[in-house]
Amino acid sequence: MLRKLTETVVRFPKTTIAVFLAATVFFAVQFPKIKIDTDPENMLEQKQPDRVFYDKVKKEFGIHDLLVVGIVDERGIFDPETLRRIAKVTDSILQIKGVIIEDVVSLRTSDNVTSQDGTLVVRRFMEEIPESPGAIEFLKKAVYGNPFFVDKIISRDGKATSIYIPIEQKDQSYRISKEIEAILKKELIPQQKYYLAGLPVAEDTFGHEMFVQMGVTAPMAGFFIMILLFLIFRMGVAVVPPMLDAMLSVIWTMGLLIGTGHTVHIMSSMIPIFLMPIALLDDIHILSGFFDRYLITKDKRKAIIDTMKDLYRPMFFTSITSAVGFGSLALADIPPVRVFGLFVAFGIMAAWLFTHTMVPAIIMLMNEEKLSAFLEKRQKRISSRDKILKAFGRFSFYRSKAILWTSLAVLVIGIVGIYRIRVNDNPVKWFKPDHKIRIADNVMNRFFGGTYMAYLVVEGDKEDTIKRPEVMSYLDGLQSRLESLEIVGKTSSVADIVKRINYVLHNEDKVFDTVPQGREEIGQYLFLFSMTGDPNDLDNFLDYGSQKANIWIQMKGGDNIQMRRVEDSTDDFINKNPPPPGIVIRWSGLTYINKVWQSLMVWGMLKAVLGSFLIVFFLMVWEFRSLRLGIISMLPLSIAIISSYGLVGLTGKEYDMPIAVCSALSLGMAIDFAIHYLQRFKAAYRELKSLEAAHSFMAGEPYRAILGNAIVISLGFLPLITSTLTPYVTVGTFFAILMVFSTLATLILLPAMMRLWGESLFKRED
Amino acid sequence: MKIIKIFIVALFLIFGPKFVFAQGELSANDIIAKSRLSFYYAGDDMRAKVLMELINKNGQKRVRELTMLRKDYAQGGNQKYFMYFHRPADVKDTAFMVYKYPDKDDDRWLFIPAISLVKRIAANDKYSSFVGSDFTYEDVSGRKPEEDTHTLLRKEILNGTDCYVIESIPKGASEYTKRISWIAAMDFLPLKEEFYDKQNELYRQFEAQEIESLNGIPTITKRVMKNTKTGHRSEATFQEVEYNLGIGDDTFSERYLRKAPVQWIK
Repeated sequence: MLRKLTETVVRFPKTTIAVFLAATVFFAVQFPKIKIDTDPENMLEQKQPDRVFYDKVKKEFGIHDLLVVGIVDERGIFDPETLRRIAKVTDSILQIKGVIIEDVVSLRTSDNVTSQDGTLVVRRFMEEIPESPGAIEFLKKAVYGNPFFVDKIISRDGKATSIYIPIEQKDQSYRISKEIEAILKKELIPQQKYYLAGLPVAEDTFGHEMFVQMGVTAPMAGFFIMILLFLIFRMGVAVVPPMLDAMLSVIWTMGLLIGTGHTVHIMSSMIPIFLMPIALLDDIHILSGFFDRYLITKDKRKAIIDTMKDLYRPMFFTSITSAVGFGSLALADIPPVRVFGLFVAFGIMAAWLFTHTMVPAIIMLMNEEKLSAFLEKRQKRISSRDKILKAFGRFSFYRSKAILWTSLAVLVIGIVGIYRIRVNDNPVKWFKPDHKIRIADNVMNRFFGGTYMAYLVVEGDKEDTIKRPEVMSYLDGLQSRLESLEIVGKTSSVADIVKRINYVLHNEDKVFDTVPQGREEIGQYLFLFSMTGDPNDLDNFLDYGSQKANIWIQMKGGDNIQMRRVEDSTDDFINKNPPPPGIVIRWSGLTYINKVWQSLMVWGMLKAVLGSFLIVFFLMVWEFRSLRLGIISMLPLSIAIISSYGLVGLTGKEYDMPIAVCSALSLGMAIDFAIHYLQRFKAAYRELKSLEAAHSFMAGEPYRAILGNAIVISLGFLPLITSTLTPYVTVGTFFAILMVFSTLATLILLPAMMRLWGESLFKRED
Repeated sequence: MKIIKIFIVALFLIFGPKFVFAQGELSANDIIAKSRLSFYYAGDDMRAKVLMELINKNGQKRVRELTMLRKDYAQGGNQKYFMYFHRPADVKDTAFMVYKYPDKDDDRWLFIPAISLVKRIAANDKYSSFVGSDFTYEDVSGRKPEEDTHTLLRKEILNGTDCYVIESIPKGASEYTKRISWIAAMDFLPLKEEFYDKQNELYRQFEAQEIESLNGIPTITKRVMKNTKTGHRSEATFQEVEYNLGIGDDTFSERYLRKAPVQWIK
């Protein structure tokens, strides 16, 4: 059937090209509909329980997306001039549309509750700018005297202050942050550094970088691959079919993705870069074979049909295995990963289609005279590359035993390395360390209680449960345990508010800096608090029916490992100090959510890898009609994968989202070399009836094609290293390493095995 | 109420719009001053049971029930307020007393029964919430007309009542940057107020929903303050309103804070 297709295409090359280009236009017009999604919550299913709970928590406790401005003055901020500027900045920020005025927390806008000469005083920290030294001292005393705000709006060393700016809508964050930046630029002097942090800022920046990624890095990678192709074939026109194949498959895939209403997430933004090198792999085999044959037959039509005939099976199997490898990501519980996997799989099969249509059609249109002139010239040069290939072939064939033992050793080292793998991730670290987001994050975490938020939600079985003294004390106890952890910078809850009121009502007597032990007292203190500020001041910490409390935990790090340690320590506390009856405690918050999807990722990927391993294995057994060949074909990639991951473990690189994703798809790619090798070897052995002769043949054109593939695919991912986002860098580096390992394993291990067992493997079939 | 409305409409139909505002050209300042007197200084003293419902945007409710006493010392001058809380249960017996001076900060005292403590409180009444509601202290006890610059924007009929629409811009620092009031031409009660925030957006909206004439004094018996940005609203219903009871000066003392004056509060 495929043969008929080839014949038709070769007969009507122009029509074929026209039809496919027309179809491509249809996919390309979808592009303007692109929607970027940078919300880390979307890593979880809409209905995933932790996400549902997080949404509920945000709604019930009136939690909005937050921008955080940090202002640092090394000379200290307690100076009338500096304070005036800070006040001006804050006042201007309040005027930005979309900012929730009454919820802004800062020196200028937050209420302080103190006791002065027996009077309970509720005043903003900085209603007026303190001018005299006495007034400055007074402000200092007020701020540092209220533990609720230390490490939050003021650093302990007095050099930094921050402004927390909740916003109504996340999609306004870009405009608002730009307006804030303009204000900061205008009002502050150069000695006063400012930092803009907060999830919405990070997300916007990330979205922007993703566009850059797709608009700059992907074309760059394309150009780079073009150069590689030119170096392999040393002929300009040879670059056209594979490049066109790659471009069309990218356009079709992204067009379909956007056209079907999918958002472009961090994962799917990588699709072009993944597809390009993969799409043109088969074309290299076709061109390589075609050039060799054309030299002999001088008949383009016949050369193409003959070349294609040999390649139908390996090309189909390499494509289908790669598609299965990526498609296996559909087993993951993470929607963006699923979308990524399925669409790359589509792209690979689209590329396979182009390989059978566009590519031969373009070859048919090549100028014959130039072609043969060039090829003859090329043949006269016996390239040094071919010599190396021959030597390399001899080595792998004749040192078979040593090679097998070495492989075994590599395998063992790899497994040892895998045992040392540390699973960890932190989306903020997706920015490179010198990125301004990372810098802001570092500075803010040095001066303040921490920018990574987690929530511990304490829920009672009926209304007013939280007002019970034993529950309130329990909150306080939990917070003490949490604050004893190094990573936790600050915790805040309704218990802090009750303690503060108790302390202030008793003329700031330290003895009363505790949770009162009467139910009425707590109720009346909270009532008093509600009379001092806004009606929604308590909302973030206590729900409307006083049935649930929310402890805010600010952490100085957002690594999953750090989150897990905080969780473990909390569990330990809860086990040793069981909460009052009827109380349920549950984690939430973005740092926790990140941890959740990451564990899903680890297990999901493992599932995907094992799943695709099995499918590819069955495909191989079917393809070679031999269980033993099936096993042998899986060996090089197993070694490559195990040693790559061993390397991850041994170098101490953390197993994060990008590494996890690589695992599933590396499989489908690494098998390609083995398929081509074994298919070609089998055919050669049948023809030449000698292992040595077959091997010698293999060390020529097939090695060249396989090596060409290996070079394109391992170097083709390298432009990713220039990206400003670390997931791209990781994927680029890891893939290059994996492909090198996989090529080496194929070209060294398989010949060695062929020498040892080739005869028995292939003989039985004859 | 209904009769008044019908009467107004009838007058309007008979004499046309010119008649309604025929009581001489009042300035915006006059209107605001009159409005303050009729809203915050009605009678020489007053007692009311206030039921306050605080409702968040999800429709969840919190209830506050209190008895309020008020005594005026001069029209537009000093006042004393006494508030005794009946509900919620855990704040029963809590009492609150305010001495209001138009020209300086109020004096306020709170009695906290759980620890049997009377505490003096100093807070900014411009923005601090009245018992956790959307009303500020200022909304409950008034604001000096001189603090804003008033402009009469237009005359308008609101729900069948002729109103002056007045824009007030604060002269000093304030929570709002602009207030628009609809003040009834007939009795100078504020029927509606809109508060604009620093972003020049509407954020709070006051509405007088029910008005009754009690002891011959037009009284807003149901008022609602809604925060249009958060969706939170507070509905205050004034029940058992009585004026000119002759509440004694000694009622407004620490002694009665600790033990509610049974004569007025049951």
